[in-house]
Amino acid sequence: MRSHGASVSLVSTGRNLVRTIALLVAVASAATFGQPSLALPNRPDSLKFAAIGDNGTGDRPQYDIAQQMNLVHGTFPFDLVIMLGDNMYGSQQPADFVKKFEQPYGPLLSAGVKFQASLGNHDRPENVSYKPFNMNGERYYTYARKNVRFFVLDSTHMDSKQVAWIESSLQQAREDWKICYFHHPLYSNAERHGASVDLRVQLEPIFVKHGVNAVFSGHDHVYERLKPQQGIDYFVSGSAGQLRKGNMSPTDQTAAYFDQDQSFMLVEIAGTELYFQVISRTGKTVDSGVIQRQSRRSQAGQKPDSP
Amino acid sequence: MKDDPQRRGLRHRVRTTVPRLSRFAVEHLLLLPLGALVALVWVNIAPESYYRFTFAISFAVNDVAMMLFFALMTKEVVEATAPGGVLHPWRRAMLPVVASIGVTALPALIHVRMVQVLDEPMLSIGWPVSLATDLAITYFIARIIFRPHHPVIPFLLLLGIASDALGFVSLALFNPMRQVHLTSSVLILAGAIAIAAALRSLRVRSFWPYLLGAGSVSWFGFFWSGLHPALALVPVIPFMPHAARDPGFFVDALPSAKDTSSQFEIWWRYPAQAALFFFGVVNAGVPMGALEAGTGGLPIAVIVGKPLGLLIGAGLALVGGLHLPHRVGWRELIVGGLIAAMGFSVGLFFSSALFPPGQPRSEMSMGVLLSLLGAPLALVAARLLRVGRFSGGSRTPA
Repeated sequence: MRSHGASVSLVSTGRNLVRTIALLVAVASAATFGQPSLALPNRPDSLKFAAIGDNGTGDRPQYDIAQQMNLVHGTFPFDLVIMLGDNMYGSQQPADFVKKFEQPYGPLLSAGVKFQASLGNHDRPENVSYKPFNMNGERYYTYARKNVRFFVLDSTHMDSKQVAWIESSLQQAREDWKICYFHHPLYSNAERHGASVDLRVQLEPIFVKHGVNAVFSGHDHVYERLKPQQGIDYFVSGSAGQLRKGNMSPTDQTAAYFDQDQSFMLVEIAGTELYFQVISRTGKTVDSGVIQRQSRRSQAGQKPDSP
Repeated sequence: MKDDPQRRGLRHRVRTTVPRLSRFAVEHLLLLPLGALVALVWVNIAPESYYRFTFAISFAVNDVAMMLFFALMTKEVVEATAPGGVLHPWRRAMLPVVASIGVTALPALIHVRMVQVLDEPMLSIGWPVSLATDLAITYFIARIIFRPHHPVIPFLLLLGIASDALGFVSLALFNPMRQVHLTSSVLILAGAIAIAAALRSLRVRSFWPYLLGAGSVSWFGFFWSGLHPALALVPVIPFMPHAARDPGFFVDALPSAKDTSSQFEIWWRYPAQAALFFFGVVNAGVPMGALEAGTGGLPIAVIVGKPLGLLIGAGLALVGGLHLPHRVGWRELIVGGLIAAMGFSVGLFFSSALFPPGQPRSEMSMGVLLSLLGAPLALVAARLLRVGRFSGGSRTPA
């Protein structure tokens, strides 16, 4: 296994410089793009996080999205970013971790924002040991923040051991909210990949049985919000770096979508409500709404879910 | 209801046609491709029902029923060690065994490199799939290209056996899906082998005690150890009394054959083919949306790597003082390497053993199906290189 510790020490001398540059870029971009307007309640005691998927290209659009995240962080101080896989594309040498992760998200990392990654099919298995991904060497793991428990899965290698683990972990969870995230979407209406039905057949009955509230995935390089499926809200957010423009083929499952530009998600959980906002590369809000935990009824135009 | 002559005629036609079609399908090994075709169509039309069905039967098919297929393959190999067989005497196998080093190492290296280049590093653990060779397809395609009794055919079969054996060893040693508990299971397996040896020394002629006694214990031993239980009959079959002379590779046992091994084949030939059909249904269902660039890694690895690896491996053998069979030169080796690129049954087995259901398994399984391009490529290469039936020389007597 490659030592990421070595890579971190190699770049440590230049890190402050990188972060300073990134901060300057963020300030410059604020002047260029303007501050995204916030559609979230931004309550002081709520859990606030961002979601990015399919981001690790190291190209300009990834940096643009990172700048939007930096900008919004000034007014919406999220302290967690969930990564929906394909965190790194192409070469995954130590320098690539700087170019495709540490540099674009430098200001957020400096501000103490914690990134919690899941792996995608383009990520190397050994990336579970890359410290800033906070995976502690595990392909799948769970952690809690306030009244929310997150379950992070490795959908690229969904073996029976992992399926048994998620079932027992969900069963043991006592938090108010149960949120799962992983790379391959159980529901998606993008043309390129679409839903991973094999995973859905395995995981959906477990999610329904144990009361999962929301599921976040990537893989398809678009944004899509699904109408609740068997009582669970699904989001596909796989365009924080990559984009497949015009790839959506919405069906009656689709509640909202955006496939014209890169985007990322902001989420705020306050009591029994989950608020979400999707912001494009240019700072435009392309979707927003709220999900009620008890009835899982959204105020953003979805139909009520089946009981 | 009136039983008119037309209805009776229809019943008669059905009664005679169905067995005839079944025999044709079994003799021409069509049930596995048919199962694969059913899977490909089904998963892309109604994926939810496909996965519900295949997940429900996958254990019964992959871990239990496939035991029959590998048992019959083992029987072929064991009989090949008898006088008249391609493995008799053992030293004949030396050259293909040495050559198999190149035939396995080079495709595995190319596969690992290709999936990195194609940006699908998660597929790199699938390198043992590149070692697979479908012996039956190799045999039949080689017979078509080279005509029966060409010396390259036993050479290719031996090469395939050696490559598959290395693949199974790799599967046991480098399989992230299974945790191997060798120490706790050695006793169970030793018990199974002891039962089989005792049955043989007692001159038990029925195959049932071998199957139900030694086979059951062996299955639990394999399952418990973390090795693939479909291989449970592999250590048992060699203890079954078999014919004094090998009738030939993939030559069906005659109904009059009385030896235990042939009786076993006669009884299980059709169920094994049914198992292969369902194996194709369960493991070849590849949703087209799951495929990415990494799918190309395996076919490139085997189609480029096997002919080159065979040339390198044979070169090593020649340097080591071994000799190529009569009428086998570098041109025959290139064509033979393309034929050996086809992993099909064994490739799908390795893929399903290494990857759980999901995108990587879909990509690897499609790669295995694409490796069947080895057949037309071998035909083209044979024509270009003027080997086998395209050599323009006199026919080899059948």
